[in-house]
Amino acid sequence: MLNFDWLSGISQETAKLIFFGLYFLIGALVLMLPNDYVYEGIAKEDRHWWNNLKLWSLAVLAVLASVYYQF
Amino acid sequence: MLSGIDYFIVIAYIVGMLLLGLYFKKFVSSSEDYFLGGKSLPFWAIGMSIVVSDIGALDFVGVSGQAYRYGIAVGNFDWVGSVPAMLLAAFIFIPYFWRGGMYTIPEYLGRRYNKSVRTIASATWILFFALDLGVLFWASAVLLNVLMGWPIWISILSTAGVVGLYTYFGGITAVIMTDVVQMIIMFIGGFALVFLSLDAVGGWENMVEKIGAMGPEYQSHFDIIRPIDTKSPFPWTGILFGLTFVMANAYMIGNQSIVQRCLTAKNEWHAKASMIFGSALKMFIPILVLFPGLMAVVVHPNLADGDQALPMMIKTILPPGLVGLMFAAFFAGLMSSVDSLLNSTATLFTKDIYEPFIKKNADDQHYLKVGQITTLVLLGLGVATAPMSSDFPGIYVAIQTFMSYFQGPLFAILLLGIFWKRSTQWGGLSALVIGIGFAIFLNVFKAGFFTIEDPFLYISWWSFLLAFIINVVVSLMTKKHTKAELDGLVFSSKILTQTSSINKTL
Repeated sequence: MLNFDWLSGISQETAKLIFFGLYFLIGALVLMLPNDYVYEGIAKEDRHWWNNLKLWSLAVLAVLASVYYQF
Repeated sequence: MLSGIDYFIVIAYIVGMLLLGLYFKKFVSSSEDYFLGGKSLPFWAIGMSIVVSDIGALDFVGVSGQAYRYGIAVGNFDWVGSVPAMLLAAFIFIPYFWRGGMYTIPEYLGRRYNKSVRTIASATWILFFALDLGVLFWASAVLLNVLMGWPIWISILSTAGVVGLYTYFGGITAVIMTDVVQMIIMFIGGFALVFLSLDAVGGWENMVEKIGAMGPEYQSHFDIIRPIDTKSPFPWTGILFGLTFVMANAYMIGNQSIVQRCLTAKNEWHAKASMIFGSALKMFIPILVLFPGLMAVVVHPNLADGDQALPMMIKTILPPGLVGLMFAAFFAGLMSSVDSLLNSTATLFTKDIYEPFIKKNADDQHYLKVGQITTLVLLGLGVATAPMSSDFPGIYVAIQTFMSYFQGPLFAILLLGIFWKRSTQWGGLSALVIGIGFAIFLNVFKAGFFTIEDPFLYISWWSFLLAFIINVVVSLMTKKHTKAELDGLVFSSKILTQTSSINKTL
């Protein structure tokens, strides 16, 4: 049990899909964050799209997913 | 030994770091300046500092060696083993720590649970960090001894002198700003090696083809996901459960030297952005440390020890000048690890041990002095214990292994502490103690429980799970905390929707 042998029926391809599912889930959760929360610390009049940390996070997740797609 | 130009580059680098670090002395006039950089630092500096502190010279050699033996699966540690955890830290944990005005992770645990949890967590970190210092001093001395020809003791004292001086005077600001330069040097040196190595193996496609043709044991060298029955330490279940769910989060959320950097940010946006920017930079780390190991499979097949992969590539691929730069990059990794340990340990001792137990309510200058003196004492301790690494060659691995016992239980109490208001002080304390004990038990009897080579990922998962369950069960049986005791310490949707007003109440 401690060796996760109960998951031995899952193939490498399916396991990879689980990782992609995780990235998708994280991306969806990030998108659900309120905009005011991700900009907190920057005055309302100084907020620009490039300060939007949701975009930063999604970009990082996209690169991560493409690395796992490649390998 | 280095050539003249390499020698010049290394000396210029060491002197430059000393002068740069000492420049930041003028910004230190209070304990907040010393431990938290006066809460004035920008995200890009903090993000770069997180990355360079995380990757040391020992990792450069070790990861290349593992890539030589096991292939690209080693990259999981910097890809899935960092990015999700850093996003969770950025959006959930760091805002709480930052808004609460905290200096240390154990300080949060003390407020959320009790003083005993705070003291156990802090004392454990202090012990590990102090032991690590001696190992790092020895590693840097060996590097200087081999390449520059300096005697071991001169090498140890010169490393301690340079890093100690700027950390003593400049505090965390000097640590972070020197880290910025160190990261740039590390990236330049690392990428130079990768591009020249790629050229030497005839390009990426050629390398993949050659490695694939080397025999059945190399067939899965480019598979990032490994099956459960792999003999390598990286089955996908270990990567998902042990690394992604536990160790990565414990490291990015519970490690004082990482989190303390984010707490130096000038505002909450910079604190969050520093983690996300750091996660973007982390994605490049496998290219720097893993790819040379892969290319060494083609250039130097049949190496008896995989850890020789990187030194051999440097020796055969890099021209004079770039060898010096690569050595400076190695040294940068070591220096950034040492300065982080010095400053974080001084912060833990001053805030979690000295202030609550030895002298309460002293003036701020007193705590500043204590932090500086602690830095000096640690420096002396590190120098004195450095030769232990020569007598006990496995000590670095032993320290890292012992550290991993702590990660699962620590993350369990942090997670429940912030997300479950019913979690009590006795739940947290028993989970920490029993969880660490269980991890040690599993490691001692690992041959009877596990089938893979080194089951540290599995051990971290199971010790996390047991600590989690213990925390829940004991908490349900003990008296819950009052609403006032939990104010500002437990996650609430209010933090997402009423940001500015919450800020005022914390």
